Amino acid sequence: MNISDLGVPRRNGELAFDAPWQGRVFALAAAVVEQAFGGDREPFRQQLVKAIAAEPDRPYWESWTAALEALVPVLPLRPAG
Amino acid sequence: MTEDAHHPKAMSPVEQRVAALEALLTERGLIPEGFVEETIHHYESEIGPMNGARVVARAWADPRYKERLLADGTAAIAELGFGGAEGEHMVVVENTPAVHNVIVCTLCSCYPWPTLGLPPAWYKDPPYRARMVREPRALLAEMGCQVPRDTEIRVWDSSAEVRYLVLPQRPAGTGGMAEAELAGLVTRDSMIGVALL
Repeated sequence: MNISDLGVPRRNGELAFDAPWQGRVFALAAAVVEQAFGGDREPFRQQLVKAIAAEPDRPYWESWTAALEALVPVLPLRPAG
Repeated sequence: MTEDAHHPKAMSPVEQRVAALEALLTERGLIPEGFVEETIHHYESEIGPMNGARVVARAWADPRYKERLLADGTAAIAELGFGGAEGEHMVVVENTPAVHNVIVCTLCSCYPWPTLGLPPAWYKDPPYRARMVREPRALLAEMGCQVPRDTEIRVWDSSAEVRYLVLPQRPAGTGGMAEAELAGLVTRDSMIGVALL
Protein backbone atom coordinates (compact mmCIF):
# COMPACT_ATOMS: atom_id res chain seq x y z
CA MET A 1 0.00 0.00 0.00
CA ASN A 2 1.17 3.47 -0.83
CA ILE A 3 1.40 5.77 2.18
CA SER A 4 -0.37 8.50 0.23
CA ASP A 5 -3.42 6.22 0.16
CA LEU A 6 -3.70 6.67 3.91
CA GLY A 7 -4.35 10.37 3.56
CA VAL A 8 -1.50 11.20 5.92
CA PRO A 9 0.03 14.52 4.95
CA ARG A 10 3.69 13.80 4.41
CA ARG A 11 6.36 15.91 2.80
CA ASN A 12 8.74 13.12 3.56
CA GLY A 13 7.49 10.46 1.17
CA GLU A 14 6.59 8.07 3.95
CA LEU A 15 6.24 8.06 7.68
CA ALA A 16 9.54 7.95 9.51
CA PHE A 17 8.18 5.53 12.12
CA ASP A 18 5.52 2.84 11.88
CA ALA A 19 4.87 2.78 15.62
CA PRO A 20 5.51 5.16 18.53
CA TRP A 21 8.15 2.90 20.13
CA GLN A 22 10.27 3.15 16.97
CA GLY A 23 10.40 6.92 17.26
CA ARG A 24 11.21 6.66 20.95
CA VAL A 25 14.08 4.23 20.51
CA PHE A 26 15.41 6.34 17.65
CA ALA A 27 15.37 9.41 19.90
CA LEU A 28 16.94 7.51 22.82
CA ALA A 29 19.89 6.59 20.63
CA ALA A 30 20.16 10.20 19.46
CA ALA A 31 20.26 11.32 23.10
CA VAL A 32 22.96 8.79 23.97
CA VAL A 33 25.05 9.89 20.99
CA GLU A 34 24.80 13.51 22.06
CA GLN A 35 24.93 13.20 25.82
CA ALA A 36 27.27 10.27 26.34
CA PHE A 37 29.51 10.41 23.27
CA GLY A 38 29.63 14.12 22.56
CA GLY A 39 27.97 13.73 19.16
CA ASP A 40 30.13 10.83 17.94
CA ARG A 41 27.74 8.36 16.31
CA GLU A 42 30.39 5.76 15.55
CA PRO A 43 30.05 3.71 18.77
CA PHE A 44 26.32 3.34 18.17
CA ARG A 45 26.75 2.71 14.45
CA GLN A 46 29.17 -0.12 15.15
CA GLN A 47 26.65 -1.75 17.49
CA LEU A 48 23.95 -1.32 14.83
CA VAL A 49 26.13 -2.96 12.18
CA LYS A 50 26.75 -5.89 14.57
CA ALA A 51 23.08 -6.18 15.50
CA ILE A 52 22.03 -6.27 11.84
CA ALA A 53 24.76 -8.76 10.93
CA ALA A 54 23.76 -11.02 13.85
CA GLU A 55 20.15 -11.29 12.66
CA PRO A 56 19.85 -9.93 9.14
CA ASP A 57 16.14 -10.63 8.87
CA ARG A 58 15.14 -9.10 12.18
CA PRO A 59 12.95 -6.00 11.76
CA TYR A 60 15.13 -2.92 11.50
CA TRP A 61 13.97 -1.05 14.60
CA GLU A 62 14.37 -4.20 16.69
CA SER A 63 18.00 -4.35 15.58
CA TRP A 64 18.25 -0.69 16.49
CA THR A 65 16.88 -1.54 19.95
CA ALA A 66 19.35 -4.41 20.34
CA ALA A 67 22.19 -2.07 19.35
CA LEU A 68 21.23 0.44 22.01
CA GLU A 69 20.94 -2.33 24.60
CA ALA A 70 24.42 -3.51 23.68
CA LEU A 71 25.78 -0.01 24.06
CA VAL A 72 24.41 0.55 27.57
CA PRO A 73 27.05 -1.51 29.42
CA VAL A 74 29.86 0.42 27.74
CA LEU A 75 28.46 3.91 28.21
CA PRO A 76 30.88 6.41 29.69
CA LEU A 77 30.08 6.81 33.38
CA ARG A 78 29.39 10.51 33.13
CA PRO A 79 27.86 12.49 30.31
CA ALA A 80 30.56 13.96 28.10
CA GLY A 81 31.16 17.69 28.10
CA MET B 1 -3.73 4.72 16.57
CA THR B 2 -7.23 5.09 17.96
CA GLU B 3 -6.28 3.53 21.23
CA ASP B 4 -7.34 5.41 24.33
CA ALA B 5 -4.20 6.75 25.93
CA HIS B 6 -5.63 6.15 29.39
CA HIS B 7 -6.18 2.47 28.74
CA PRO B 8 -3.19 1.35 26.71
CA LYS B 9 -2.94 -2.21 25.47
CA ALA B 10 -0.37 -4.44 27.10
CA MET B 11 3.07 -3.60 25.77
CA SER B 12 4.72 -5.93 23.28
CA PRO B 13 8.14 -7.37 24.23
CA VAL B 14 10.02 -4.81 22.17
CA GLU B 15 7.95 -1.96 23.59
CA GLN B 16 8.85 -3.21 27.05
CA ARG B 17 12.54 -3.26 26.12
CA VAL B 18 12.35 0.31 24.81
CA ALA B 19 10.53 1.46 27.94
CA ALA B 20 13.21 -0.19 30.08
CA LEU B 21 15.94 1.52 28.06
CA GLU B 22 14.20 4.86 28.44
CA ALA B 23 13.88 4.41 32.21
CA LEU B 24 17.52 3.38 32.56
CA LEU B 25 18.91 6.15 30.38
CA THR B 26 16.71 8.74 32.07
CA GLU B 27 18.01 7.58 35.44
CA ARG B 28 21.54 8.00 34.12
CA GLY B 29 20.71 11.61 33.26
CA LEU B 30 21.16 11.08 29.53
CA ILE B 31 17.68 12.07 28.35
CA PRO B 32 17.02 15.80 28.68
CA GLU B 33 13.41 16.63 29.40
CA GLY B 34 11.32 16.80 26.25
CA PHE B 35 14.19 15.50 24.10
CA VAL B 36 12.41 12.37 22.89
CA GLU B 37 9.27 14.21 21.78
CA GLU B 38 11.22 17.02 20.14
CA THR B 39 13.45 14.61 18.27
CA ILE B 40 10.52 12.57 16.97
CA HIS B 41 8.74 15.73 15.84
CA HIS B 42 11.87 17.03 14.15
CA TYR B 43 12.45 13.87 12.12
CA GLU B 44 8.80 13.33 11.29
CA SER B 45 8.00 16.88 10.28
CA GLU B 46 10.94 19.15 9.72
CA ILE B 47 13.53 17.26 7.79
CA GLY B 48 13.01 15.24 4.68
CA PRO B 49 13.51 15.10 0.94
CA MET B 50 12.01 18.57 0.49
CA ASN B 51 15.34 19.86 1.79
CA GLY B 52 17.37 17.88 -0.72
CA ALA B 53 14.98 18.99 -3.46
CA ARG B 54 15.86 22.61 -2.72
CA VAL B 55 19.55 21.80 -2.99
CA VAL B 56 19.04 20.08 -6.34
CA ALA B 57 16.87 22.88 -7.71
CA ARG B 58 19.44 25.49 -6.71
CA ALA B 59 22.16 23.48 -8.43
CA TRP B 60 20.07 23.26 -11.60
CA ALA B 61 19.30 26.98 -11.54
CA ASP B 62 22.72 28.32 -10.56
CA PRO B 63 25.80 26.82 -12.22
CA ARG B 64 28.13 28.44 -9.73
CA TYR B 65 26.21 26.90 -6.83
CA LYS B 66 26.42 23.55 -8.58
CA GLU B 67 30.19 23.91 -8.83
CA ARG B 68 30.41 24.61 -5.12
CA LEU B 69 28.04 21.74 -4.36
CA LEU B 70 30.13 19.22 -6.25
CA ALA B 71 33.38 20.58 -4.79
CA ASP B 72 32.24 20.71 -1.14
CA GLY B 73 28.78 19.26 -0.58
CA THR B 74 28.67 19.93 3.15
CA ALA B 75 29.43 23.64 2.79
CA ALA B 76 27.12 24.22 -0.18
CA ILE B 77 24.24 22.41 1.54
CA ALA B 78 24.85 24.50 4.67
CA GLU B 79 24.38 27.63 2.52
CA LEU B 80 20.71 26.66 2.34
CA GLY B 81 20.57 26.08 6.08
CA PHE B 82 20.75 22.30 6.13
CA GLY B 83 23.21 20.36 8.23
CA GLY B 84 23.67 18.39 11.40
CA ALA B 85 23.58 14.73 12.30
CA GLU B 86 24.46 12.42 9.38
CA GLY B 87 25.21 15.38 7.17
CA GLU B 88 28.69 16.38 8.31
CA HIS B 89 30.57 14.87 5.39
CA MET B 90 28.41 15.20 2.30
CA VAL B 91 29.53 14.21 -1.16
CA VAL B 92 27.19 15.06 -4.03
CA VAL B 93 27.47 12.85 -7.10
CA GLU B 94 26.13 14.15 -10.40
CA ASN B 95 24.13 12.10 -12.85
CA THR B 96 24.96 12.70 -16.50
CA PRO B 97 24.02 10.92 -19.74
CA ALA B 98 27.20 8.86 -19.24
CA VAL B 99 26.97 8.09 -15.51
CA HIS B 100 24.12 7.13 -13.20
CA ASN B 101 24.82 7.20 -9.45
CA VAL B 102 23.00 5.32 -6.72
CA ILE B 103 23.55 5.19 -2.98
CA VAL B 104 23.39 2.31 -0.54
CA CYS B 105 24.62 1.41 2.92
CA THR B 106 25.70 -2.22 2.81
CA LEU B 107 26.29 -2.63 6.54
CA CYS B 108 23.45 -0.75 8.17
CA SER B 109 21.41 2.31 7.21
CA CYS B 110 23.73 5.31 6.77
CA TYR B 111 21.84 8.02 4.90
CA PRO B 112 22.02 11.82 4.60
CA TRP B 113 19.40 12.82 7.17
CA PRO B 114 19.51 16.63 6.78
CA THR B 115 18.74 16.47 3.07
CA LEU B 116 16.65 13.30 2.76
CA GLY B 117 15.24 12.64 6.23
CA LEU B 118 15.27 9.11 7.61
CA PRO B 119 15.65 6.32 5.07
CA PRO B 120 12.67 4.45 3.64
CA ALA B 121 12.12 0.88 4.85
CA TRP B 122 13.42 -0.78 1.68
CA TYR B 123 16.73 1.08 1.95
CA LYS B 124 17.36 -0.66 5.28
CA ASP B 125 16.30 -4.11 4.13
CA PRO B 126 18.81 -6.87 3.31
CA PRO B 127 17.77 -7.34 -0.35
CA TYR B 128 18.47 -3.72 -1.29
CA ARG B 129 21.70 -3.57 0.69
CA ALA B 130 23.06 -6.74 -0.88
CA ARG B 131 21.71 -6.59 -4.40
CA MET B 132 22.47 -2.95 -5.17
CA VAL B 133 26.14 -3.81 -5.02
CA ARG B 134 25.91 -7.17 -6.76
CA GLU B 135 23.48 -6.42 -9.56
CA PRO B 136 22.57 -2.73 -9.59
CA ARG B 137 21.23 -2.61 -13.13
CA ALA B 138 18.83 -5.50 -12.57
CA LEU B 139 17.65 -4.19 -9.20
CA LEU B 140 17.17 -0.66 -10.55
CA ALA B 141 15.09 -2.08 -13.40
CA GLU B 142 12.95 -4.00 -10.90
CA MET B 143 12.43 -0.74 -9.02
CA GLY B 144 11.21 0.86 -12.23
CA CYS B 145 14.41 2.71 -13.00
CA GLN B 146 15.58 1.83 -16.49
CA VAL B 147 19.12 3.09 -16.85
CA PRO B 148 20.16 3.22 -20.52
CA ARG B 149 22.41 0.31 -21.45
CA ASP B 150 25.37 2.50 -22.32
CA THR B 151 25.17 4.54 -19.11
CA GLU B 152 27.66 3.46 -16.47
CA ILE B 153 26.18 2.79 -13.02
CA ARG B 154 28.21 3.85 -10.01
CA VAL B 155 27.18 2.52 -6.60
CA TRP B 156 28.25 4.55 -3.58
CA ASP B 157 28.44 2.68 -0.29
CA SER B 158 27.94 5.12 2.58
CA SER B 159 30.76 4.61 5.00
CA ALA B 160 31.16 5.63 8.61
CA GLU B 161 31.97 9.17 7.52
CA VAL B 162 30.70 10.05 4.09
CA ARG B 163 27.05 10.48 3.14
CA TYR B 164 26.15 10.74 -0.53
CA LEU B 165 23.41 12.64 -2.32
CA VAL B 166 22.64 12.10 -5.99
CA LEU B 167 22.21 15.18 -8.16
CA PRO B 168 19.70 13.98 -10.76
CA GLN B 169 19.74 15.24 -14.33
CA ARG B 170 17.51 18.22 -14.92
CA PRO B 171 14.52 17.08 -16.96
CA ALA B 172 14.22 18.39 -20.51
CA GLY B 173 11.72 21.16 -21.12
CA THR B 174 12.20 22.85 -17.74
CA GLY B 175 14.28 25.77 -19.05
CA GLY B 176 11.76 28.44 -18.07
CA MET B 177 10.98 27.14 -14.60
CA ALA B 178 11.74 29.03 -11.42
CA GLU B 179 13.72 27.38 -8.67
CA ALA B 180 10.71 26.65 -6.46
CA GLU B 181 8.95 25.02 -9.36
CA LEU B 182 12.04 22.95 -10.15
CA ALA B 183 12.22 21.77 -6.53
CA GLY B 184 8.71 20.38 -6.95
CA LEU B 185 9.96 18.03 -9.65
CA VAL B 186 12.64 16.42 -7.51
CA THR B 187 11.72 13.15 -5.81
CA ARG B 188 13.37 11.42 -2.88
CA ASP B 189 14.08 8.36 -4.99
CA SER B 190 15.84 10.42 -7.65
CA MET B 191 18.24 11.72 -4.97
CA ILE B 192 18.96 8.16 -3.80
CA GLY B 193 19.46 7.20 -7.44
CA VAL B 194 16.69 4.62 -7.73
CA ALA B 195 14.53 6.78 -10.01
CA LEU B 196 15.01 9.03 -13.02
CA LEU B 197 13.20 12.31 -13.50
